[in-house]
Amino acid sequence: MPKRTDIKRILVIGSGPIVIGQACEFDYSGAQACKVLKEDGYEVVLVNSNPATIMTDPELVDRTYVEPITKDFVERIIEKERPDALLPTLGGQTALNTAVELAKAGVLDKYNVEMIGCDLAAIERGEDRKQFNEAMKELGLEVARSGYAYSVDDALNLAQTIGYPLVLRPSFTLGGAGGGIAHTEEELITIVSQGLELSPVSEVLVEESIEGWKEYEMEVMRDSAGNGIIVCSIENLDPMGVHTGDSITVAPAQTLSDVEYQRMRVASLAILEKIGVETGGSNVQFAVNPSDGRLIVIEMNPRVSRSSALASKATGFPIAKAAAKLAVGYTLDEITNDITKATPACFEPSIDYCVVKVPRFAFEKFKGTDTTLSTRMKAVGEIMAIGRTFEESFGKAMRSLENGHYGLGADGKDEFDEERFGELVGLPTEDRIFYIAEAFRRGWSIDQVHLASGIDPWFLTRISDVIAVEQALNGRSLDSLSAEDLFDAKRYGLSDEQIAYLTHSTSKEVRLYRKALGVTPVFKTVDTCAAEFLSETEYHYKTYEKGTREIKPSHKKRVMILGAGPNRIGQGIEFDYCCVHACYALHKEGYETIMVNCNPETVSTDYDTSDRLYFEPLTFEDVMDIVDIEQPDGVIVTLGGQTPLKLAKDLEEAGVHIMGTKPAAIDLAEDRDRFAEVLDELHITYPAAGMASSFEEACQVADRIGFPLLVRPSYVLGGRGMVIAYDSKYLESYMNEAAKITPDHPVYLDRFLEGAIECDVDALCDGEQVYIGAVLEHIEEAGVHSGDSACCTPPFTLSESQVSQLRSITRNLALRLNVEGLINIQFAIKDAVVYVIEANPRASRTVPFVSKATGVPLAKFAARIMAGEKIKDFNLPDDERRQPHYCVKEAVMPFGRFPGSDVILGPEMKSTGEVMGIAYNFPSAYAKTQIAASMELPTQGTVFVSVCDRDKRAIIPLARDLIRMGFTIVSTEGTARALQAAAIPCDVVKRINEPEPNIMTMISQGEIDMMINTPFGQDSRPDGYIFRTMAVRENICYVTTMAGAQAFVSAIETIKNENLPLVALQDLEQWKG
Amino acid sequence: MPPAKLVLEDGTVFDGFACAAEGEIYGEVCFNTSLEGYLEVISDPSYAGQIITMTYPQIGNYGVNEDDLQSDELALRGLVVHDMCTTPSNWRSTQSLPDFLKQHNVVAISGIDTRSLTAHLRDCGAQKGVISTIDLDDASLLEKVKKSPSIVGINLAQTVSRTTIDTFDELPKSQEFAVAAPQKPRYNVVAYDCGVKKSILQGLVRCGCALTVVPWNTPAEEVLALDPDGVFLSNGPGDPEPVHETYEQVQKFIGKVPIFGICLGHQMISLACGAQMEKLKFGHRGGNQPVMNLRTHRVEITAQNHGFGLLFDSLGPLIPELSGGFSQHSADLRDWVERSVAPVVQNERFGRIQLTHVNLNDGTAEGIALLDYPVFCVQYHPEASPGPTDAHYLFTAFTRLMDKDPHYLDIDIATDRLSGWVFGSEEGAQNA
Repeated sequence: MPKRTDIKRILVIGSGPIVIGQACEFDYSGAQACKVLKEDGYEVVLVNSNPATIMTDPELVDRTYVEPITKDFVERIIEKERPDALLPTLGGQTALNTAVELAKAGVLDKYNVEMIGCDLAAIERGEDRKQFNEAMKELGLEVARSGYAYSVDDALNLAQTIGYPLVLRPSFTLGGAGGGIAHTEEELITIVSQGLELSPVSEVLVEESIEGWKEYEMEVMRDSAGNGIIVCSIENLDPMGVHTGDSITVAPAQTLSDVEYQRMRVASLAILEKIGVETGGSNVQFAVNPSDGRLIVIEMNPRVSRSSALASKATGFPIAKAAAKLAVGYTLDEITNDITKATPACFEPSIDYCVVKVPRFAFEKFKGTDTTLSTRMKAVGEIMAIGRTFEESFGKAMRSLENGHYGLGADGKDEFDEERFGELVGLPTEDRIFYIAEAFRRGWSIDQVHLASGIDPWFLTRISDVIAVEQALNGRSLDSLSAEDLFDAKRYGLSDEQIAYLTHSTSKEVRLYRKALGVTPVFKTVDTCAAEFLSETEYHYKTYEKGTREIKPSHKKRVMILGAGPNRIGQGIEFDYCCVHACYALHKEGYETIMVNCNPETVSTDYDTSDRLYFEPLTFEDVMDIVDIEQPDGVIVTLGGQTPLKLAKDLEEAGVHIMGTKPAAIDLAEDRDRFAEVLDELHITYPAAGMASSFEEACQVADRIGFPLLVRPSYVLGGRGMVIAYDSKYLESYMNEAAKITPDHPVYLDRFLEGAIECDVDALCDGEQVYIGAVLEHIEEAGVHSGDSACCTPPFTLSESQVSQLRSITRNLALRLNVEGLINIQFAIKDAVVYVIEANPRASRTVPFVSKATGVPLAKFAARIMAGEKIKDFNLPDDERRQPHYCVKEAVMPFGRFPGSDVILGPEMKSTGEVMGIAYNFPSAYAKTQIAASMELPTQGTVFVSVCDRDKRAIIPLARDLIRMGFTIVSTEGTARALQAAAIPCDVVKRINEPEPNIMTMISQGEIDMMINTPFGQDSRPDGYIFRTMAVRENICYVTTMAGAQAFVSAIETIKNENLPLVALQDLEQWKG
Repeated sequence: MPPAKLVLEDGTVFDGFACAAEGEIYGEVCFNTSLEGYLEVISDPSYAGQIITMTYPQIGNYGVNEDDLQSDELALRGLVVHDMCTTPSNWRSTQSLPDFLKQHNVVAISGIDTRSLTAHLRDCGAQKGVISTIDLDDASLLEKVKKSPSIVGINLAQTVSRTTIDTFDELPKSQEFAVAAPQKPRYNVVAYDCGVKKSILQGLVRCGCALTVVPWNTPAEEVLALDPDGVFLSNGPGDPEPVHETYEQVQKFIGKVPIFGICLGHQMISLACGAQMEKLKFGHRGGNQPVMNLRTHRVEITAQNHGFGLLFDSLGPLIPELSGGFSQHSADLRDWVERSVAPVVQNERFGRIQLTHVNLNDGTAEGIALLDYPVFCVQYHPEASPGPTDAHYLFTAFTRLMDKDPHYLDIDIATDRLSGWVFGSEEGAQNA
């Protein structure tokens, strides 16, 4: 069937901010979908609150709403834009849930909007466990024995009939949030009571545990004619019990015989039909009993998912693109296979390599939380590796993670907890795989490791083979290795770094020696068809084979862009956005762009984004192997965050032309002493600072510059391990705890500018001229990591003179540092003095936001500057122009995922994503961000206020405003005294440690609608911590800073008085004409 | 591992290792793109005379279960893999693949860049080759391979067919956890064995056929004397032209008994109708070939294994009134997909013949049905094994043909696809 002509305008819902379980894979799928719908001539209206996405670039669709993805906002957009159809299957669970809400509320009927791709009944059958289980029963498929609990008692009753261990899954939550495995009654009660609260329908599925079974996923596509295909099968290395998002997974399935695989295939297709997925992609998860092949259906998602992004990258089959085409009426046989350009998309990709995905965690950011992996997803990112064998692919994967390792151990980075060694070989944690490798080194048998971990012996045997190859090198000298030895090591996935460690040499020596012996890789192509048909698409991976390479020589000018690697806290989608923009801009300027990255969730690793894509780890070895083949004219390292930046120096030394800002300039900005000299030379103020490698030295520094101090170790970046010390007692405990502090690794102590206003400036510099992208004023005061702080552009409280001071410092500094490209400078303003906190001569996290806010795509221009163009030739708008609208960016926190960790904001970044709000004044824009970040702003009710002594004065006007707006205030004694003294009515509530009824009683009974709780100093009081964790669990609106509270109160007032305006990007001044 | 060599007749040399039996073997080198199902592939008698390259790099991962074998003897000449797994893992596995191959004296080579080899065969066409673990001299091997016989013009079917008439009713025990139990036998069916895969016979048994399996050249009269409800023509290796003793029998059956053919069986029926065959450049071998059923407009993902194919236009001129008004044959049969028409030709011998199935990758013919006689056949493998089972409905169609159902081919593939399987819910309920 050809495409539908009865629909013209399609509303696409995105997935909103990056959160755990829903990351940039939905930008990849959504952007693909928007692109093909546009190409097919449809008008596309998009809503997505996440500014760091490619899909929200205004040129991609007709109407782009960077607005909260809530029923109310989307309803208003529908009312305004009158789409004919709604496509909800490409924006993750957020889009699906919003579509369900809209359908149920009658909005779609009212405006005559058709849901395409999937209908309400199908979504409900797929997501509602009861309906799903019944559907499976009708098909003759088994699901785990189970029942529903609507109360803890229900759950206890079910436990009696099914028996422990039990898997608990709250209905309709994202990425399995609130789920878990209960081995005991006590665990059952805890998880069920949490789950009931998290589930929007207060329902928890209590299920027989199939922990330890083999786990599989099938990526399925179906069209309206009923044709169905399996795009990819995935086998999890981690057996059942670990969320698939937290599991190491392998494609294709490795240990299924044909009869088992085909049965699973048929079941997958039947499930799609039964659930009623009319068109599009879905994923179905199965468990297989390893001892008798018993097949159990775990779940299905009637939408494009994280796994489908992985499957698309793993096979080259663009699932989201196809799903969008199918949704508008095409059938699979009418779509051409994008990669071969000759065969139809109606086939099942055959691959001739092995793909391994490994999740990336960030537990170090969330102290106090349980690091055991379970059915609740905790990973913040993932990487994928391609190799001809599992062994090779796995080795590549283990060095792609950027967790300090150069592979599966044997790199001098191994550290094991000897006391718990045996336990940790079995316990699923992010380190289990390293313990398993070490267990083999220590002589454990396959059976022993299998017994401990439940991992299939096939994987364990492969890993033990890798260890055997590795150990055969151990202790040998490099020059004793033959070409065959090295070739073997490479085929088993060992990195140069590992070989260097094993042979007591350096990785550079290994590289030289290996190349001299002719042990170099070949590059192969991902072509969906195992070479059966010729393919033109330049999507490559590296392997060690004695066969032919498939890279065609090119005579165009070539630029290589290094991506950002796995998403983690501090380095996410924003950097991928910059890399993608560089690809677009340079391709347009006539360059051939070569992308290198290993993150399967991203737009940058779409084979459509660059002219050539290399899916490879971002290590010196892997990048240089590509450089050797491609001989690019230059490499861009300043757009992908820390990952490529770390390689810059080595690449330059290896003779690679680094485009834009030189590594020396980057070094200068990062070297505190030399940077201080530059600031002195330019007469720029910066906070007093010192360095210490012992507590005594730290005290001397403290005496000199005074408390509070911002303290951080010198060996980490991105705010890790950074704290604010208010007194020497805390400083002492910090110095004692930070075990790695040595004369080589001292700590830095900066004067902490308490109460200062923080600002960020993003600017372009071409060596001659500086263009200010934007000045961003932070909402939270200094002390909160800039990535976690909300910010606004244009600045909403700064004076003209302050802004021009920021501009002039930026100009001077950018020129002095010889920046060619982007620079981000962080400032703090205290008592009318402007301090420079730091300067980063590279793309910052705020570049995408600034580009959306101002209409100037900074990363694109940065790339062009790096290619030699000049700012004066860009015809940019005046950077001092006045902008009529305010744009606010707010960080989105993953605290709900890490029960037990403190939700307080501090100098260490914890957010996973961001949202943007656009309006014509600050409070409205801010209000939008809070709604978009799922903070429900209350407009009435009771506010609990408990602030530290420092804030007691500042809270008074806010409290008065709250009373005026009709709120009731309850406070703890100290705060109440201050309020009552100011004649503000408030009730006193007992503290946590006082007998009930106390504040906890009120919170758990739902009597509190909002909390303002500012901690003091180190916050030694435990009750603040309990409040905040409680607020997260109960989903109560909470603020932990005074500045945040002020913004909140003004936002609430705005919502009470007016409807927040709807703003399409295309309506803003900057995009018109 | 001892060294081994693969040399193609165009002089291309691949160095590798001997990973199964030692020896020196010649055959036509082809490739199969199935991701799993290596055991079914290597035991398929249709690979007689051939050296199979598996494009998936790691082969042998789930070991060997002899219930999955497609024949008792292995007919292939040799096996080429990238990496041979000696330590498999699967609950049904009884031994490793290399051990099994050694037992059956199959020569195999590993350590080959199978992707380069595949691309070479794709670009230069399937060709003769040699795997040797004995002679490692390139020039000598090349000379020998050039002299080795081609499979074109050779009757390979007779080398893999049985020689006696047998009944067949065995079903593999270890597949019972997944595959549905057979229906009661209702039809007496005679199956010609030109190198039949066991799973085809099993498929016929499961859909209610009491089977008599006869050698490839059994005279039609002998078969008709058994008074069958239907005759089945099996798959088989190589060039169909030399298998005339089979297709000459087919000519005698048409009109007397319902007939169903698969793969070589399809070619036998086509040849019986006087059609011409072509040799494909590198064949269709794998489990992901899309085939459009022109009667239902549904796409089936199919398992295939053939190097020769039917030239549809050689069956006769189009009948425009039954072919959407078209009177000109198309070189690319995918035109019929676009036109949504299942064209019909007027055949000199057997009246109207409809093109029922077309390969969407390259527009070759995949199935025909005689409209004036109860005969239909497909080029691909509805029994799959290995591969997707979308086309399982064709077994059902055969029973409907024998029931004289005029709409025997009009079956919903989605429903039928499920009927071949069990998912164990009853067993699960019992355990509960």
